Amino acid sequence: MRPKEFVYHRARDLDHALALLAEHGEEARPISGGQSLVPMMNLRLARPDHLVDVNDLGLDEIREEAGALHVGAMVRHERYLTDPLIRRHLPALLEAVHWIGHPTIRRNGTLGGSLCHADPTAELPAMAVLHGARIVLASTAGRREVAACDFFKGAYMTDVQPGEMLVSVIFPCPQGAHSGAFEELGERLGDFAMGSFGVVLEHEGGVIRRAATVCGGAKMTPIRLPEIEAALQGQTLAGLDAAALGDRVTGLIAPAGDFQVSAEYRRALIGELAGRALQRARDIALNAQP
Amino acid sequence: MTRITLTVNGRKHVVEAEPRRLLADVLREDCGLTGVHIGCAHGACGCCTVHVDGSPRLSCLTFAVQMDGRAIRTVEDLGGTEATHPLQQAFRRNHALQCGYCTPGFLMALLPFVEAQVSAGQMPDDDEIREAMSGNICRCTGYQGIVEAVRETIGDALAAKTEAAQ
Ligand SMILES: Cc1cc2nc3c(=O)[nH]c(=O)nc-3n(C[C@H](O)[C@H](O)[C@H](O)COP(=O)(O)OP(=O)(O)OC[C@H]3O[C@@H](n4cnc5c(N)ncnc54)[C@H](O)[C@@H]3O)c2cc1C
Ligand code: FES
Ligand code: FES
Repeated sequence: MRPKEFVYHRARDLDHALALLAEHGEEARPISGGQSLVPMMNLRLARPDHLVDVNDLGLDEIREEAGALHVGAMVRHERYLTDPLIRRHLPALLEAVHWIGHPTIRRNGTLGGSLCHADPTAELPAMAVLHGARIVLASTAGRREVAACDFFKGAYMTDVQPGEMLVSVIFPCPQGAHSGAFEELGERLGDFAMGSFGVVLEHEGGVIRRAATVCGGAKMTPIRLPEIEAALQGQTLAGLDAAALGDRVTGLIAPAGDFQVSAEYRRALIGELAGRALQRARDIALNAQP
Repeated sequence: MTRITLTVNGRKHVVEAEPRRLLADVLREDCGLTGVHIGCAHGACGCCTVHVDGSPRLSCLTFAVQMDGRAIRTVEDLGGTEATHPLQQAFRRNHALQCGYCTPGFLMALLPFVEAQVSAGQMPDDDEIREAMSGNICRCTGYQGIVEAVRETIGDALAAKTEAAQ
């Protein structure tokens, strides 16, 4: 199929884009990589009257500031794979990006597009939740920041209001010595995940100071697991029983089944992935010990 | 209707296009480049892969109006109607195509990968080759022939490089 008719606007800069989005409100959608929006338009699942092309806006910086990485909305997925700041500060994100689609998708898709599309098992939304990121939205009325955990409202639903666009995401960097890991399973290489699990461990002297976890596929948005994070905190790396914690994850979640997998399978799968991710994060941390 | 200028395979095309028309359709219908195949029109099969300013992109996920002023390269530019490009010849030798519907997409997705490996002077392992072509679906070959064609092309180019250096 092919899309319905629409008016195409190519924004010259951010102010121009925001003016166009304000003018056309609910009828307008930004287009960045087009890797999710155009399939939806071709299938007529999305029918915007106005497209505001934001590809000339820049917004493609990755910058370190005050203990956080500020990542521009137009940063394409493949950039992370070679970026030294990402490698140093967000190793779990680096692992997760390998799982996004295929090389051509990673070359063209953007951070802003992925977060605003909000597929329930997409990797970058999970990374935003894992790292407690703040999402920066702009409109002609000004800017506001939304915590990642409040940004995702449901499958394909976010807090972005008509007239607004995502301009950057602020990822607080893990502090001190840290390790991260991410695991997922999809039907084929590059497919959306049936389930996923990510973890960051901050540690000192062989003891976990603070842990963050994220679970993809357990709900319609990525979720943190505070019980697991509390259990990890204060644990020694050497004494961490990853498989047992994976089993505990299984008890904490109640995912839905779909055309691919049953609810039971997905629950067991996410527990297994949690065990593997925790084990690897632990091993990476132990190997880095002096 | 919007008037756009595309440089396609080195030739300038001025096209009047409705914004909703896909780059894939404009290349096929207005430029006559039917080597651009459309398998799914939603990003899942890779058949429609072309290069935009040298970089692979799915022409079914691109509106032609977005490409005003850009340089597009399609499979027709690779080795012409005789398919003389070394990668195309290796596809032929290794049974990397049967019906050939997917082939233009595989070639355009794999070419930058092959060139990058050759210029880095390295032979990728099979997993890396399969990753590079993971966005392309082939319903005929079972993929092994394609992997072998890629390996052979890179091997030949690396051997030629070594010979030239001696
Ligand atoms: C075959 C295939 C496989 C894929 N596999 C995966 C996968 O495994 N994991 C994964 O995470 N993704 C996957 N994707 C999706 C891909 O990552 C997309 O790049 C991403 O979801 C959307 O980014 P985009 O820049 O292309 O956004 P677009 O398609 O341009 O836009 C997506 C949505 O976000 C809105 N939008 C875009 N930019 C902004 C902005 N700055 N502010 C506000 N709203 C905005 C648009 O209006 C639209 O609603 C896949 C895509 C394809 C085609
Ligand atoms: S036709 Fe473009 S990916 Fe299938
Ligand atoms: S050769 Fe027939 S689909 Fe690939």
